[in-house]
Amino acid sequence: MVSGFLVMGGLGVAIGVVLALASKVFYVYVDPKIEAVEDALPGANCGGCGLPGCSSNAVAIVAGKASASSCVVGGPDVTAEVAEVMGVAITLQEPEIAAPGCSYGYQEADVKYLYQGINDCRAATLLDGGSKICTIGCLGLGTCVNACPFGALSMGPDNLPVVDTETCTGCGTCERVCPKHIITLTSTSDRIIGEYVTDECTAPCQRNCPTGINIPGFIQEISNNNYEAALAIIKEKCPLPLICGYICPAPCELACRRNLIDEAVAINPLKRFVADYEMETEKHITPYKAPGSGQKIAVVGGGAEGLTLSYYLARLGYDPTILEAKPQLGGILRYVIAEDRLPRKVLDHEIEGILETGVQTKNNVVMGRDFHLDTLFQEGYDAVVLTKGGFDSRKILQPDQKGYDSSVKGLYIMLDFLYALANGEKVDPGQRVVIVHNGIEAIDLGRKCRKMGAQKVTIISNLKSHELPIELQGSEDLEAEGIYVKHSTVVTGLKGISSRLVRVALEDTHPIGELPEEKATIRADTLILSAGRLPEFVFVRSEDQPEPEEGEIGWETIETFRTFPGSKEGICTPPEPGRISDSSAVVKSLLSGRRLTRAIHQHFSSDSVTPIQDLVCETDTILNVTEVHEVISSNRERPHIIDVEGNSKTAWIFPDEYPGLNEASARNEAERCLKCGLICYRKQK
Amino acid sequence: MPDYILLIVACIFVNNILLMQYLGNCPFLGVSKKMETAVGMAMAVIFVLVLAGAITWIVDIYLLKAFGLEYLRTLSFILVIASLVQFVEMFLRKSIPGLYAGLGIFLPLITTNCAVMGVCLINIMEEYSFTQALVASFSYAVGFGLALVLFAGVRERIILARVPKPLQDTSIGLVTAGMLSLAFFAFKGMV
Repeated sequence: MVSGFLVMGGLGVAIGVVLALASKVFYVYVDPKIEAVEDALPGANCGGCGLPGCSSNAVAIVAGKASASSCVVGGPDVTAEVAEVMGVAITLQEPEIAAPGCSYGYQEADVKYLYQGINDCRAATLLDGGSKICTIGCLGLGTCVNACPFGALSMGPDNLPVVDTETCTGCGTCERVCPKHIITLTSTSDRIIGEYVTDECTAPCQRNCPTGINIPGFIQEISNNNYEAALAIIKEKCPLPLICGYICPAPCELACRRNLIDEAVAINPLKRFVADYEMETEKHITPYKAPGSGQKIAVVGGGAEGLTLSYYLARLGYDPTILEAKPQLGGILRYVIAEDRLPRKVLDHEIEGILETGVQTKNNVVMGRDFHLDTLFQEGYDAVVLTKGGFDSRKILQPDQKGYDSSVKGLYIMLDFLYALANGEKVDPGQRVVIVHNGIEAIDLGRKCRKMGAQKVTIISNLKSHELPIELQGSEDLEAEGIYVKHSTVVTGLKGISSRLVRVALEDTHPIGELPEEKATIRADTLILSAGRLPEFVFVRSEDQPEPEEGEIGWETIETFRTFPGSKEGICTPPEPGRISDSSAVVKSLLSGRRLTRAIHQHFSSDSVTPIQDLVCETDTILNVTEVHEVISSNRERPHIIDVEGNSKTAWIFPDEYPGLNEASARNEAERCLKCGLICYRKQK
Repeated sequence: MPDYILLIVACIFVNNILLMQYLGNCPFLGVSKKMETAVGMAMAVIFVLVLAGAITWIVDIYLLKAFGLEYLRTLSFILVIASLVQFVEMFLRKSIPGLYAGLGIFLPLITTNCAVMGVCLINIMEEYSFTQALVASFSYAVGFGLALVLFAGVRERIILARVPKPLQDTSIGLVTAGMLSLAFFAFKGMV
């Protein structure tokens, strides 16, 4: 009995002592903040932050690897609590919501076979990518619904997931489990800077719209009698819906599937209808605007591209200022397009809407005369964008024109340079000259530069070696003269100090896979562009510059959005290498304005601008249909036009302007839309 | 040597701790929903069981039997196993953080695992030598792991099947466990 007490007691004491010692010997310091942060986090372990669970995120937050707002589930309350523990300021994050990307369930869509296997989309995908013919169609087995840790998803009557936007926390679990990548997180900002890719369900009209308006989406909202929501959808891609409603050539209507049976849906008049509605209500609808991030951006040029860029920058939280050379904003829209095509009150209304989002303007200021690249940086702008668009941008490049000096020394258009030489003006090309030209004139010019003291001349051509003129192909003789030829190359960036050029960034244009992609930066004192206009450049400050002198500011251009000619084809192919805009239609300028926004936003939010893979507009190989069945033919609605002599149809006069659709005909027209997907469309039985 | 092979086969298959002795049913149902956690648990059990088998054998022979206190066996084994797990956890956290992170939450779960306790008691009742006790503990733990991993695999597939509502989750889990147990019953004929 006693021995029992002794042994058990002794065992207990011995173990107690050992454990006490062990806790000292094996003591591991744990930051008390980690526990405090972990307590603040919701403990759902959903993985929405990108880490395995809440405790891993707590460790990451304390280590400074994740931000206080990294928990997407907790919302502002949790963020505030975590920020308090960490003693940091709160940065607000735009909420992201899951959005299913398929709108035809398997009862309506065409299928290859009937699936009766395991009740899970991941298993169903293993059988030839699922039963639907459409490779990106929702299989409707509810894997996302089962995976949702918050019960925000349910299966709708048509076997498509329905998101409850109130309970959706944007954790992204559904996005991770969906084997088809159909349900994805999206936010207004994502849609503004996004482009359509091939594994996304898009309607033919949407793909053909240069700026990519979600056309079936806004027409659906017109049918729902929700004109403001329709306008909000349009404004995610096009900030000038009324102007487009008047003058857009509407390539979307050419692609409309209704062309296969009767007439295209009146897409552009419908857009005009909702924009007219906005103008009549005399207020401007600005759906979502991110909280201010404080970066100041100077936009040089207040045309369609500059206005678009400023509008989206303001909506993404930046602080843009338009610097316009003319007395009023609008560029070609105001000064070139005839007033009876585009009434000026329409233009003023649209510009007013853009300025209301928080865009500042300075009119009557000219780059090269009133300000320079370096003075803008000194004024505190974080980036300077040239959106010279359709107007001649030579003025800013022409050093010798009276009253102007060059904003970037050493940047010339070839014609101006030759003109100056022919007039006997003194031009100093510096030590190194880069000429961007495909013709043999480049050799002549190169020799002239050599005579004027240049040591090395490099001719850059975007053509392949065998496409070049024969004189430029055998380059050994030229190299002996100090002239070097680089084929299949484009200029992708500039670097400089204050107002002078220092370096030029070059890139190989061979499609990836054919030859290794080459990037190089070469020294240049003079860059001569063969013709055309100056590409859009986004200038930002750069620390990484060779020896700037006291008080000078180093700058460089960042990569914008570009595709190389020859590498891919499609409706988005740029007009010239290095350019992203095309002023042939206002809607194309809107696209480049939006793409510049993307480049600037990516530069300031993630430091690197990433190219988008598999852009839908660069490819012809996309699932489509060439016949339409089970659709009842109906006539396109037309605006009511007054003619000269009562009912004579010979001559038209427009009372003030070209009239738009009235509400009844707009609603009728909206019903004509087939709500197309890649191969699905609304059948009328 | 043949004795040891027989011992190993008997412990892993014939007398499988989970499916034939019905010990350690809580983790069997609790952590078998995902293969990942099942593997983690199996590893933790192998690790702890070998240590516990050795320590409890020493405690039994040199402490309890020496003082004639066999009636305190259950009590003292619980104490020893619980503190052993505590100690191991502290040791791993400091010395082998990688293993600690891998075994994670499974270590403290084992403190109350009747499979560990059961194997230690079986070792004593079968009057194994120290080496035999070690081999038996290891083999039982491997058997535990085997059954758990098999079961987790089955359950992962069951989730995808169309199971009637009243039978979902634990109910169908128990039915499956029963069938798996029947399958293991066939090993009885081997020895």
